[in-house]
Amino acid sequence: MRRPSTLSLIFSYAILVLGVLFSLYPIWFAFLAALRPGGRLFTLNLAGMFFPTEITWENFRIMLFEKPFPIWIKNSLFIAGLTTIACVSLSTSGAFAFSRFRFVGREAGLILFLAVQAFPGVLALVPIALILTRLGLYGSPWGLILAYSTGTLVFCTWNLKGYFDTIPIDLEEAGMIDGCGPIQSFIRIALPLARPALATTALFGFMAGWNEYVMASVLLAGQEPRYTLPIALAQMASDLNVPWGQYAAGALLVSIPVVLLFLWLQKYLESGLTMGGVKG
Amino acid sequence: MGTTYRGLRKYLLILLFIAPTLAGILLLSIFPIIYNVYISFTNRNTYHYQVYRLPEADRAAFVEQHPVTGNFVWDVVCPVFPGFCCDPSLQGFHCIQQPFYANYARLFEKLFTLPSLLALLRLVLIMSPLIVVAVAANRVQKRSLVPPATWWWWIVGAGLAVVLWFGPLRGAAALAQLYDTGPFFLVMFKTVLYVIACIPFFFIFGLIFALLLNNPYLRGKPVFRVLLIVPWAVPSYISALIWQFFFRAEQGTINQVLRLMGLPGPSWLLDPNLAFFAVVLVNIWMSYPFFTVIILGALQSIPQEQYEAAEVDGATWLQKLTRITLPLLRPAVMPAIVLSSITTFQMFNTVWLITRGGPLRGAGVPGATEFVMIYAYKQVFQQRNDGMIGAFAVIVFIILFAATLYSLRLTRITKGAYE
Repeated sequence: MRRPSTLSLIFSYAILVLGVLFSLYPIWFAFLAALRPGGRLFTLNLAGMFFPTEITWENFRIMLFEKPFPIWIKNSLFIAGLTTIACVSLSTSGAFAFSRFRFVGREAGLILFLAVQAFPGVLALVPIALILTRLGLYGSPWGLILAYSTGTLVFCTWNLKGYFDTIPIDLEEAGMIDGCGPIQSFIRIALPLARPALATTALFGFMAGWNEYVMASVLLAGQEPRYTLPIALAQMASDLNVPWGQYAAGALLVSIPVVLLFLWLQKYLESGLTMGGVKG
Repeated sequence: MGTTYRGLRKYLLILLFIAPTLAGILLLSIFPIIYNVYISFTNRNTYHYQVYRLPEADRAAFVEQHPVTGNFVWDVVCPVFPGFCCDPSLQGFHCIQQPFYANYARLFEKLFTLPSLLALLRLVLIMSPLIVVAVAANRVQKRSLVPPATWWWWIVGAGLAVVLWFGPLRGAAALAQLYDTGPFFLVMFKTVLYVIACIPFFFIFGLIFALLLNNPYLRGKPVFRVLLIVPWAVPSYISALIWQFFFRAEQGTINQVLRLMGLPGPSWLLDPNLAFFAVVLVNIWMSYPFFTVIILGALQSIPQEQYEAAEVDGATWLQKLTRITLPLLRPAVMPAIVLSSITTFQMFNTVWLITRGGPLRGAGVPGATEFVMIYAYKQVFQQRNDGMIGAFAVIVFIILFAATLYSLRLTRITKGAYE
């Protein structure tokens, strides 16, 4: 590639900076509100809309030490963590089979998996609640884990299947000649090679548990000590007299782990997000 | 790998691998769909909400009447689908309707009349130039080795559609007539419009940032890459509330800035068009990082030699983009577009937290941003109109299912690696 002219470089930087402003300002705004004393979300002071004018950590302190925030975090971590494990372990073997074996109904199965996604999810809530009641899991975190992990199953299976497709089968065939069975070749050859896709899938599983709001609000209704972060924060925001500063502080505290996780897994994201079809 | 095992052993092995995935999908994805189909045939609503249970004393007589299926129906069908076992004349219980398709009939009774169908036909005719261009462009691209530029076909097609809209076919009048046929057309049309308004911007924003971040002469790329991805990582219920605040009429940040510049700030969320614009903007903000990442990944797999060869031949920047980059991005971007079309179609959280489906036009009429999922949520959890919305969902599901199948044919992503 030829070296671009200085002018076009400046232009590129300008667009990037604009993009960063566009994408970061809402978060920065929450940060400003969290630092502002008095708990108001807005200020009529122009400078205060862009820079912190007075700084107080009071809102963060209240959220962390006076509210049951640690309990909400514990609930959310428990649910999101187990959802991650469940969704990765449920989808990996299925994805491997869809990628490696040829069998009757393979393509139909893949299409069926995708078509299931087309159903308006809000309407699945009532039947899901019915099943969870039958299983005795209604109102319990285990019910949510079950619902979340099956909800992300389709995406996870498709994504992993797409990645397995890109791994040359020769490696496994070489393993078979050396005496590996299909299960061994799956665990010892294919799985380690699929690390980027596994990381990406795990990230999506975690996000599904950490961020979900509608289902949790229906399935955990009225179970105060079991509340996850999304329900607890949404409840704070629906109060008549919303302590916006505290809400903003809580919102930042919730977002930070996910953002860090994203940044940590970023090198995997570009290669691991295959969506079933991209062959490098 | 099919060489190792044959016949029954092969299928047992496959079953072993697939069973966990399949069990999860069957239990919590497929059963809800089946249950919903059943609900759509019942009259379940506020007045018929109770679940009918057959009195245990009648079991012996019931089994005698139905010697083969009796016990199965009593133990399995009646508890799960009580509407099948209940007498429609009972008050308060939900039962299968007579005729069983009554909900569907009510949903479409105004749409399937001659004037409405004619209005629908007019809309299709207005769209027809674009459809013809799409089909023709696809043919030409597939047939020829060096595909000709087809972008100007699209401009001609769009121009023709605009002429037809304002000219002989009077699109606005046709649309107004269809809006009066009940919620189904209104909600579906708004939702499709929302998807069409969002997806091109996802792609364009994603493409611009991916191209910039792929420039080897740019410094500080890791930093920009990290910062640009942040909207994707922030939980949507949090960013939606922040944006909701931005759009407020009095205290909202956008109007504050507008007032400082001496401009009148509109009430964003009270005007149907501006509210629609607002939810499109927020969705773009949330979704373009996903496209940036997908496109960036795909850009890095395009061999540099192709560009070098094009440069030797004196290709301009635009030619390289349209002749090399875009065609080679297609296989990576198409699945992403299909997936985000589905998620945008089913968007709930964000729109709900920003507009609650409003602004409303009047009692009983869906609001300007009341998309499929919001309409469904309101009908189930606020109006308790389960039977009706069940029928709505079944139709939506069939339409989306067909659209998914069609897009799968376009993307060919069900093909495995070694076919």
